Amino acid sequence: MVPMLEVTLQKRLDGFMLDVAFIAANELVVLFGPSGAGKSLTLQAIAGTIHPDAGRIVIDNQIVYDSEQHLDLPPQVRRVGYVPQHYALFPHLTAAANIGFGLAHLSRAEREQRVQDMVTLFDLQGLTHRRPRELSGGQQQRVALARALAVRPRLLLLDEPFAALDLALRESLREELAQVQARTGITVVMVTHDLTDAFALGHRILVYEAGRVIQHGTREEVFFHPATRHVAELVGTRNILPAVVERSDGVTLWMRWQGHQIAVLAHALTPGTLVELCIRPTQILIVRPDRLAERERVNLLSGTLVREQMHGETYLLSLRVDGSPAASDLEIALPAYVYHRLALDTDKRVTVELRQQALHVMGGKDGGQGTGDRGQ
Amino acid sequence: MERLFWLSLLPLVLLVGLLALPLLSIFLRVLPHDGIWETVQQPIVTEALRLSFLTSLSSTLFALLCGTPVAYLLARSRFRGAALLDTLIDLPMVLPPTVAGVALLMTFGRRGILGTWLDVVGVHISFTPVAVILAQSFVSAPFYIRAARAGFQSVDQDLERVAYTLGHSPLRTFFQVTIPLAFPALLSGAVMAWARALGEFGATIMFAGNLMGRTQTMPLAIYAAMESDLTAALVLSAMLIVVSFSVLFGVRLLLHRSPYGAYA
Repeated sequence: MVPMLEVTLQKRLDGFMLDVAFIAANELVVLFGPSGAGKSLTLQAIAGTIHPDAGRIVIDNQIVYDSEQHLDLPPQVRRVGYVPQHYALFPHLTAAANIGFGLAHLSRAEREQRVQDMVTLFDLQGLTHRRPRELSGGQQQRVALARALAVRPRLLLLDEPFAALDLALRESLREELAQVQARTGITVVMVTHDLTDAFALGHRILVYEAGRVIQHGTREEVFFHPATRHVAELVGTRNILPAVVERSDGVTLWMRWQGHQIAVLAHALTPGTLVELCIRPTQILIVRPDRLAERERVNLLSGTLVREQMHGETYLLSLRVDGSPAASDLEIALPAYVYHRLALDTDKRVTVELRQQALHVMGGKDGGQGTGDRGQ
Repeated sequence: MERLFWLSLLPLVLLVGLLALPLLSIFLRVLPHDGIWETVQQPIVTEALRLSFLTSLSSTLFALLCGTPVAYLLARSRFRGAALLDTLIDLPMVLPPTVAGVALLMTFGRRGILGTWLDVVGVHISFTPVAVILAQSFVSAPFYIRAARAGFQSVDQDLERVAYTLGHSPLRTFFQVTIPLAFPALLSGAVMAWARALGEFGATIMFAGNLMGRTQTMPLAIYAAMESDLTAALVLSAMLIVVSFSVLFGVRLLLHRSPYGAYA
């Protein structure tokens, strides 16, 4: 893999320290995390519109910033496409003039040809004479992408590209962005705090928290194997169970949670270690009483359904496990048809299975699995 | 809603009366007058018109040239002493113009801290049209700078950043993005500054004196004419009212129709 982008940077702001490092190559990398974590600052440092305190930024084998060499190329020569939040279209120019804004160095004919190519690529025919405020949110976003790509940048930086759009539009534009990326093969670094955007688009995901990258991996690694409780919470994991390691036989590791014994796949953890188990609400199986003996089952827990919420096609249930306090209620998500077929209801007693493959262990001495620092 | 309307009617009548009646009274005295045209052709009127026109435009141009970079600096950068500079620029707006006049005399007057040196090389500023321009600039430039700063602040910095990444130099970005977007604010600021310069009286009479054809602008001519020729004073006043009203109203209409006025 020849990296298109290498970033190491430190920047101190009042009461905040940005300190990150990553690489990217012909893929879509998502910087994911809460607002104020330093994601947008990272994009601006790559674009060259802020000056880091230290570090090194290499784009396509060209060093554009190196604090040791006192090198800091201005944004004008970095050839990076930058689309800030809310797109920053020039309100006094038409869509066509916006798209052609960075092409002043070309001849008139070339410029017009390039703008026309972009108009075709982004399906903006008939809108070229409109000003930004006469365009819908989705059209504005396409003009902004066209403007950034018209100059044939080496890299595309997108800051919250879907934040201002409604749900239906988001989905189609996500699809469009994925296609543009796949077709052009351009390296994209996209900032988002939206979980769905991050996992729908990101080939790799960097989880940001307070100026640092707390996990770096493929989307599957980050989603199913969060490195820490914090990442788990950020990626929307709902069932995080504090447990103690009891014993191991090399194949299975037994833990104790709220007095219940839980078996997970073997880890290099010594008895007595405090860990956190997590399991996604969709991965908890409700076992029908008549099928209990169907096969060998592990980690069976019984309890009472104490709450339910309907989210369209999905039901969210809270299970109060027998002998456990309310704070340890397990969250279960299941499709509406399953909910109805099992004739579930609040106050109903059920048995669930926590399958070993679905249980993920975090913490402990080895720092948990799936930290995914392969890119480093 | 209706009650609110009736409740605000009395203050409205009072306020409009207070503002409009005195202005109207000038026209009521001037219009029935015989020989208005003769009065207009008197040197005291024509000279004042010429001088006011030249000096107010010069001081506005000065405010534009020096005030625009300062306003941009104040709008965009955080630096030590910004608050101090800000206050300094606002100061002439609240000071009595007579204080400005004294201050200018103490600087550029024959015994002023700069004037002494200028005197040596044979340059005399006080009691010349240049002094009028200086006095007008002193009191009117802050109006422009304030408006321009607000205008520049309202231009999203992301627009400038994007322009940089698209290869545009800061200067080019300033002229192609920032100025066009701040234009309504710059224009109304310039017009306010010009109107203030046109009406300048106190600082001018202190620093530049009241010499017809040399430093006697319209407001000074009105003051002078009140003692000798009331008609000339009335005519000049009426002219100032008409010109100021037309320009302010015109700019308002223009900005309202501006295609991107909503973004300023």
